[in-house]
Amino acid sequence: MLLEKYMEMMKETVVIIGGGPAGMEAALSLAGRGYKVHLVEKTNALGGHLARWDRLFPQQDPAQEILNELVNRIREADDRIEVVYNAELQYIKRRMRGMEVLLSNQTLLQADAVLVACGFDLFRAERKEEYGYGIYENVLTSADLERKFKEHKVVCTDGRTPEKVAFVHCVGSRDEKVDHTYCSKVCCVTAVKQACEIKELYPEAEVFNLYMDLRMFDRYFEQMYHRAQSHYGVHFVRGRLSEVAETVDGKILIKTEDTLLGRPMKLTVDMLVLMVGMQACAQTAELAEKLDLKVSASDHFFETKDLFLRGNHTHAKGVFLAGACTGPKSLPDTLQDARSAAESIHRYLTD
Amino acid sequence: MHERFANAYDPFVIPYMIGFVFVIAYLIVALCFVVKSLPMSDRKKMLKHLFSYKIFITVKDIFADCLLHVKIWKKNKLLGYMHSSIAFGWFMLIVVGHIEIFFYAPHRVNLPYYPIFFRYFMMETETTVGGSVFFFLMDFFLLMVLSGIALAMIKRIRRRLFGMKRTTRLKWNDQLGMYALWCIFPLRFLAESFTSHISGGGFLTRGFGMIFDWFNQFMNNDALIRPTWWAYSIALMVFFLTLPWSRFTHILSEALLIYMRNAGIRETSKNNGYASVEIYSCSRCGLCLDPCQMVSGASLRQMASVEFTRNIRWGQTTQALEAASYCLMCNRCVQACPVGVNSVQLKLNLKGADVSYRYPHRYDYVESEAAPSPLATTSAWADILQGEAVTAETAGVSAAGAGKPEVVYFAGCMSHLTPRIEQSMVRIFEAAGVRYTFLDEDGGICCGRPLMLAGDRTGGEQLVVKNTEAILATGAQILVCSCPICYKIFKDTYKLEGVRVLHHTEYLLQLLEAGRITVRKSAETGVFHDPCELGRHSGIYRQPRDILYRVLNLHTTPYEGKDALCCGHSIAAEGMPYKKRRMIAKDALRKMTENPVDVLVTACPSCKRAFAEIGTTRIKDIAEIVSEQLVCPHLAAQPKK
Amino acid sequence: MKNFGFGLKKSGVMDLDKTDWTLLREIAAEEPSFMNCFYCGTCTATCSAGKYTGFNLRRLQLLVKRGQWDEVAGRIPECMLCGKCQWVCPKGVNTRHIVMLINKKLHARKIC
Repeated sequence: MLLEKYMEMMKETVVIIGGGPAGMEAALSLAGRGYKVHLVEKTNALGGHLARWDRLFPQQDPAQEILNELVNRIREADDRIEVVYNAELQYIKRRMRGMEVLLSNQTLLQADAVLVACGFDLFRAERKEEYGYGIYENVLTSADLERKFKEHKVVCTDGRTPEKVAFVHCVGSRDEKVDHTYCSKVCCVTAVKQACEIKELYPEAEVFNLYMDLRMFDRYFEQMYHRAQSHYGVHFVRGRLSEVAETVDGKILIKTEDTLLGRPMKLTVDMLVLMVGMQACAQTAELAEKLDLKVSASDHFFETKDLFLRGNHTHAKGVFLAGACTGPKSLPDTLQDARSAAESIHRYLTD
Repeated sequence: MHERFANAYDPFVIPYMIGFVFVIAYLIVALCFVVKSLPMSDRKKMLKHLFSYKIFITVKDIFADCLLHVKIWKKNKLLGYMHSSIAFGWFMLIVVGHIEIFFYAPHRVNLPYYPIFFRYFMMETETTVGGSVFFFLMDFFLLMVLSGIALAMIKRIRRRLFGMKRTTRLKWNDQLGMYALWCIFPLRFLAESFTSHISGGGFLTRGFGMIFDWFNQFMNNDALIRPTWWAYSIALMVFFLTLPWSRFTHILSEALLIYMRNAGIRETSKNNGYASVEIYSCSRCGLCLDPCQMVSGASLRQMASVEFTRNIRWGQTTQALEAASYCLMCNRCVQACPVGVNSVQLKLNLKGADVSYRYPHRYDYVESEAAPSPLATTSAWADILQGEAVTAETAGVSAAGAGKPEVVYFAGCMSHLTPRIEQSMVRIFEAAGVRYTFLDEDGGICCGRPLMLAGDRTGGEQLVVKNTEAILATGAQILVCSCPICYKIFKDTYKLEGVRVLHHTEYLLQLLEAGRITVRKSAETGVFHDPCELGRHSGIYRQPRDILYRVLNLHTTPYEGKDALCCGHSIAAEGMPYKKRRMIAKDALRKMTENPVDVLVTACPSCKRAFAEIGTTRIKDIAEIVSEQLVCPHLAAQPKK
Repeated sequence: MKNFGFGLKKSGVMDLDKTDWTLLREIAAEEPSFMNCFYCGTCTATCSAGKYTGFNLRRLQLLVKRGQWDEVAGRIPECMLCGKCQWVCPKGVNTRHIVMLINKKLHARKIC
């Protein structure tokens, strides 16, 4: 008994930065192995982007259910996991053994390892001025539409039911002009998901997906694409949006080329949805400096030690990475990456 | 005062004479070539100028620019002194030397080498008034030149003292000329000093000569005198012989350049004589290097104007063409050039010559909007064009009420990619109750300036004709444009009878001053970025600032007005890779926002996009700010932020 | 091989075995961004000239890359070089320069 108590006291502590899916899942994995975890979340609630999503591809699972389960499990493990809300990392000091972590709320934590799981930011669509976001009212982002789904209010700003909706893929992804040269991986499948959901709500609506390449790479994705075409009759147009204008009656006139036909094309829609990509979160540079991490010059996400056997390791001792802070990831990938990070930390601490 | 040698000759004058005759011959041949390559009208201008009163202005300009280097003084005093001490000092040595000959040995005026080696051939004494004055003057100007040479040597090592971050790297021909030039005056000083115990000398030469005299007691008397004069003569010869192939050709051509420029001649084509005089007038001083943002912002030193003129001069057309295709044509180098070489025009001329190796553009497919050409029916845009043209017109008429519109608004191609600018302008027109028509609401045709900047004048002129028809057909008396590129060509090249061309900065200020719109001042801080085409190319500096003082807290940066930076995305630079453009934009934005502000304001859709792509600072067009700050109860709510 | 007697009609098949790649190589050497294009068509969608004619820069670039020059030559002079395509291109392709280079190279080969 006493020995057990002693072992318990000697058990190492891990500080996790970010209370999104990656941070939560990693916290649960580490707690399951007996480690003490401080989960530091900058807002007043856990969940990150997951909390703002309605349903999840590829099988329309409600995001809320998954989030609730994660939050409940964290609550149950409260002897091991302490969540610190409204706090960010202030600085880190290396000690003989482990690190000293000071948070912005002046809490001082001892840590044997730090896991960065700060996630991603969505691309600010207003940076593509020619797409009219923030200028024309019926131009939304995929996140805006998801919120509308959640609130069960998928209508135009004047309350009309949309008769024509277009989804624009690759907004802020694969675009050198905004210095995002990479693919965000999840927008294609999200666009197909949202297109199907619009058709579910309004079977009469005409829905168009403007894509450059359809990247349906993961399990059940291709089936979703198939269903969108054959079951819902969604139109797929291979071409990238060049610019939009507003018509007198508040509709959105879009210009693109149907590259498969080789002809420029115009289309008036009631609602234009911009599939905003992922970008490294705003704190990346700051965290990189404080924790001595490397940032990729190519995509501005954190650099891992390698892409194969040390995919959660950093170049700094005792600091690990999980989730979308090392590049765009879908939710299943993020959760797996979090578990893999926990395993890496465990190996590091028991070595 | 008397001559030392009755024959007035020594073999060491031969090298000098070879160089001298060579330069005179070169000058005559070069002048013939220049005149030959000029069109007859320009030749007449040259002749007429000689007998016009303006010749006095030219003489003054030559004196101020070639000798005193007034323009360089304005840039940096030390650099100015360096240039003018060498040029003016040398000039005065020649002038005073000749006066000395007239004074003492008029019968030797026909010997061109005599004033150069005067101290060897003539003995003089400082005890006479004349002698002391000449000794003093000659030594004074020699000292002046020597100080300039010393500074030139220091400049090669410590150029920052002279206000230059960068200077030119010299090739062997320039180095040879430069070392020869550096040798001439120290050698003359030594030669005169060594001779001073015989021929006399002023405070400098005699002063040093006395030290030399002391050394003389240990060695063979006067053994150094003639070798030093020989060395002096050879240095002069080397300098003269290399002159046509070195940077120092500018000593000869700059005066001609000023003469021709004042006579009203311009570099109208690639091979025109004025253009070649300009190229030879580039002294490779390197003053264009620091202002060039290709150099400072994107490490493209080989693309700088000084390298371009060099490439042209040495017939390296491929490199010159590449440099021309990279050049942003922001005019910062032209503004910095102390000689007034218009390298931007030279680049345009070179591009223009290259265009003849391409198929001519043809725009016969652009018919009047009402009847699209048969070609257009092949395109899906044809129906859009027909359909929208009607709505655009009706919209214009409804705004206009009855009669002709007051204003025709031409947003320009680029503004279609910055819809906020167009939206703001429309809102302002409506707030001011302006009867307007939006000519290219559904996208018009290009203004033609991009073609002209690619060197294609004839292509551009076709578009000028098409647009002129469309603008005049509206019957409006004011043309307002949002893009400074369009503005520049509308104002300078289009013949729009009875139509005033205004950029929206000018027009918005007019509306404000006439009280047709009122604005409130926001608490935001901002700086203004002068677009190249609006500022340096069109001279619009005051209007945007007069507006901005009314709508926000305007801060200033060191990069304003004529010193404004380029956004790096000039339409002229068709060959510059996107990554380099972006580097320039990023560097410029960083410089302008060194003291952080809420918003960077500009007045050009291209500049706006260039800086917005960087994503670090909020960028707005001046029209957006005015629209946001409008006080107008009768208008709908503010556009969404 | 059996001819089926359709000898007069030009085959619709692009024979890449007979393609001359020199034009592609020359343009790529002078303007490396020529090889960046991923054929999204944004240039064509925004094109000022494409509004009136069949000018399609995405297609023209691809035709050059496949060695099908004949189709390109007649179209190139329709471009107004306004530069909208360059602004919207997500790959940073120097479209204006490419149009100028294609024009120059075709002229040098007297293809029109």
